[in-house]
Amino acid sequence: MKMFKILVCIKQVPMVSELPWDSKTGTLKRELAQGMMDPSSRRALEAGLQIKETRAELGEKTQIIVLSMGPPMAMEILYQAKSLGADKGILLSDRAMAGADTFLTSFILARFIKKEVPDVDLVLCGSQTSDSETGQVGPQLAEELSIPAIGYAADIQLQGQMVRVHRHVDDFFEVLEMDLPGLVTIDQAAYTPRYAAFGGVQDAFETADIIQVDARRLGLDENFNAVKDSPTRIVDVYSPTTRKENRVLKGTAKAVVDQLFEDYGKIISSAMGKDLKGQGEKI
Amino acid sequence: MTTATDIWVLGDYRNYFQSRVTLQILARATHLAASTGGKVCAVVFGHGMDEYVGEYIAHGAEKVYVVDDPALKTYAVETYSFLMTRLVEKFKPATLLVGATRFGQEIAPRVAKQLKTGLTADCIDLEIDPKGRLVQIAPSFGGNLIARIITPHKRPQMATIRPGTFQELVHDGTAKGQIIRLALPTDMPTEKIRCISSEYKPSKAKGIEKADIVITGGRGMGSKGKFKKLFELAALMNGEVGATRPVVYANWIGHDALVGQAGKAIKPKILFAFGISGAIQHTAAIADADFIVAINKNPNATMMRMADVAIVADANQVCSGIIRAIKENIRD
Amino acid sequence: MEFNPCVKHQLIRKIAREFSENEIKPQVAELDRDARFPHDIIEKMKPLNFFGLQAPKHLGGAGLDSISYAIVVEEVSRVSAALGLCVTVHNSVGIYPILKFGTQEQIERFVPAMAAGDSIGAFCLTEANAGSDAGGVETTARKVQDGYVIDGTKIFVTNGGVAGTILVFAVTEDEKKSANVFIVEDDRPGFSVGEIEDLCGMRANPVSSLFFEDCRVPDENLLGKSGQGLKIGLTGLDTGRIGIAAQALGIAQAAFEDSVAYAKERQQFNQPISRFQTIQNYLADMATQIDAARLLVYRAADYKDRNLPFSAQASMAKLYCSDTARKVTDMAVQIHGGYGYSKEYDVERYFRDAKVTQIYEGTSEVQRMVIARNILTQPS
Repeated sequence: MKMFKILVCIKQVPMVSELPWDSKTGTLKRELAQGMMDPSSRRALEAGLQIKETRAELGEKTQIIVLSMGPPMAMEILYQAKSLGADKGILLSDRAMAGADTFLTSFILARFIKKEVPDVDLVLCGSQTSDSETGQVGPQLAEELSIPAIGYAADIQLQGQMVRVHRHVDDFFEVLEMDLPGLVTIDQAAYTPRYAAFGGVQDAFETADIIQVDARRLGLDENFNAVKDSPTRIVDVYSPTTRKENRVLKGTAKAVVDQLFEDYGKIISSAMGKDLKGQGEKI
Repeated sequence: MTTATDIWVLGDYRNYFQSRVTLQILARATHLAASTGGKVCAVVFGHGMDEYVGEYIAHGAEKVYVVDDPALKTYAVETYSFLMTRLVEKFKPATLLVGATRFGQEIAPRVAKQLKTGLTADCIDLEIDPKGRLVQIAPSFGGNLIARIITPHKRPQMATIRPGTFQELVHDGTAKGQIIRLALPTDMPTEKIRCISSEYKPSKAKGIEKADIVITGGRGMGSKGKFKKLFELAALMNGEVGATRPVVYANWIGHDALVGQAGKAIKPKILFAFGISGAIQHTAAIADADFIVAINKNPNATMMRMADVAIVADANQVCSGIIRAIKENIRD
Repeated sequence: MEFNPCVKHQLIRKIAREFSENEIKPQVAELDRDARFPHDIIEKMKPLNFFGLQAPKHLGGAGLDSISYAIVVEEVSRVSAALGLCVTVHNSVGIYPILKFGTQEQIERFVPAMAAGDSIGAFCLTEANAGSDAGGVETTARKVQDGYVIDGTKIFVTNGGVAGTILVFAVTEDEKKSANVFIVEDDRPGFSVGEIEDLCGMRANPVSSLFFEDCRVPDENLLGKSGQGLKIGLTGLDTGRIGIAAQALGIAQAAFEDSVAYAKERQQFNQPISRFQTIQNYLADMATQIDAARLLVYRAADYKDRNLPFSAQASMAKLYCSDTARKVTDMAVQIHGGYGYSKEYDVERYFRDAKVTQIYEGTSEVQRMVIARNILTQPS
């Protein structure tokens, strides 16, 4: 029986709750941030795991390969994916690849897939990572691989060499079918990810099938430079200024409520679409 | 080349009634074109879109490229992105802007890849730099960082634009625009995705994402019983109730009400935040509120710092106070 | 010598932390207030191997090393010391003695259900007249044909109210009066559970008295060989101490993190109180002691995994971690001022929870005895 191959693209992102800020420059000290598996990547992996489980009940075999690109510390999320049930992990890691925009990231991912997993059946991606939030790598990867793609899947049913996808995009409820090989990105509310069991973690480290691949092994040109070769360039990054008026009201509950309506009654009543008497006066 | 300075906007009429993002982008494009020169153009694919074409002209489009064919009646990503690429290659605009609806976010990356150009996602502003290049201003980390991005060498410069970012121009029924009708190319690719069904179901209920008034509560409300007061206030104000993650996990309210990274993003005209300290996962989802009133005993909570009005007091008592004040003063 | 955590330990910490933050934290204040054991959370913990952390995989456990085990206990305790207590007691003095001293038949009979979390473990030594002094145990086991009849009352049994597999310390009524440990299932006639204790801290753990009245168990329920009771008890306690040390560490860590956050937020005299040197000194002391405590825990765990004698190391870790938890939670309340004394903030719970870590699994005084005995029996 043919092995069904699912490739899931995952990314390590800084843990948002622990962003170390340089308060002087207002920039992120990314090297100090703790990494975690991007929440939307986790949903994509979960979708893959559920497909594998459904197939296993029918006695059909599935291999889940997780593919990531990032610094060496991103190895952690590959082990995490393995703990959760992935079979194999690959980290594309090289200084030359750092700073790639979505155009180049999808190019590099596709390069590996074409070279090492040309027989992939289904590629799964999150719909939007929590750091750069572009949602562009999935569709662009499909373009690179010359395979069709469906975005924002709420549910995937595998039917032989075809998938049926339910999705809710904008105000449309759609059911789509796509022949495989193809790519699906998973909606951010679908496929609630499971926690890894500690036994799974132990297994992942005992039977590691996780490798790092550099630019040379990918066959990239020695002059390859992701920052230089990316079509977009970041001019600067800053943290947005907070609201100008940060009015502080103090006092008893009654006093502050009175003050609130006195000074902001108009805003409140206009949002409510109802008039409040004594607007502008104390109420 | 006569068209190398044109700014194109993809007509997202599919979402016309929900999001007027195309009209909003046309307004900004008009503003940008004032400094770069070139024409503001809309591009539409589909079947029977004449009313939208008229709307685009009335809202600033000087030219509209139209491919109208029965074969395009149902939206299909491969077909639409193929057409878009073909037109760009033919007419070579300097810039291509797309609304960051799901529709736009699905098509734009494909087109950018086919054109081998860059694409910036979900921009919240667009500017022109001194060299006449498009500066694409986009948030990341849930709005905690803003990046200014350019596409130095490739054309067109592409960006998707967050709906609601720009104000549309006033409808001008007398505006004249050139309509360029193009035939469907003969070498269209076969669509690999079959649409089994597509139902347009605009959500009637406002829901927390679309509510003008949202009342959110955190653990500072004290208990499930006290949290219920927020529902009374919401009913009085015609608003919706939202909550932070600890509150949802404690079952004070259902998961539907979760405002934050794992839940919903809101953009009400006014937000009352009761007893919320402001974890970043939560604050990222409320950054688009027009006016924020935060109530917390701790004046230094993040939520209080990002509020327009920060009330240093017990969340419960203030909630009761506002309920009382409205009951006593409402005019039907 | 390696001071950075390896990828595995880092990942285990993240998983344990994420679970605790998402699934336990939202309920933790309520559980403490109502002294309620959260069966719903326990159900979620079962499939993740929280109840078989070090049990071998073929018996349904995770097969983790002891440092991983300490990390999990620390992370659960950082959010809920009462649940951390449940996990550590179950894994250390519940499962471990059976694995270490049990016959193959006993291991296969008891461990799978325990490792799955379907049968929670408890270990009962303490009685009204016996605590630190195991010699005072009055619970008896009378030999009868094919088994023993146990009589006695155990008090302050952690997990007592929910335990399914209970290790009971009793004195056999023969000439030798030897100490033995019996495995008693909760459905044995003659076994019953007393009222849940109304305690100062650890309130979500169903600590209770357990009664054994003519409670008959078969010979197969005698753990290890007859007369091995004291050895089993002491080995169990050594292991248990690593867990309690990790638990105390988790409490201290939580108190420290809350204190740092509060010190940065709280304004007095128009500046955050973290600008004041007194507060800075508190925070520096807390951080230093917590770091030292953590290293002691890992060393004891590492010794155990390498099969080195770890009794003194476990006692040092337990003594230092519990003292640190007490000091750090005390400073945390002080930093929070009046709010720290209020149930609105978590530090008052940490403060209450921390105290008992100096008492159970051997008081601080007993730990010093163990450490001193180790020093003085070393060949000089």
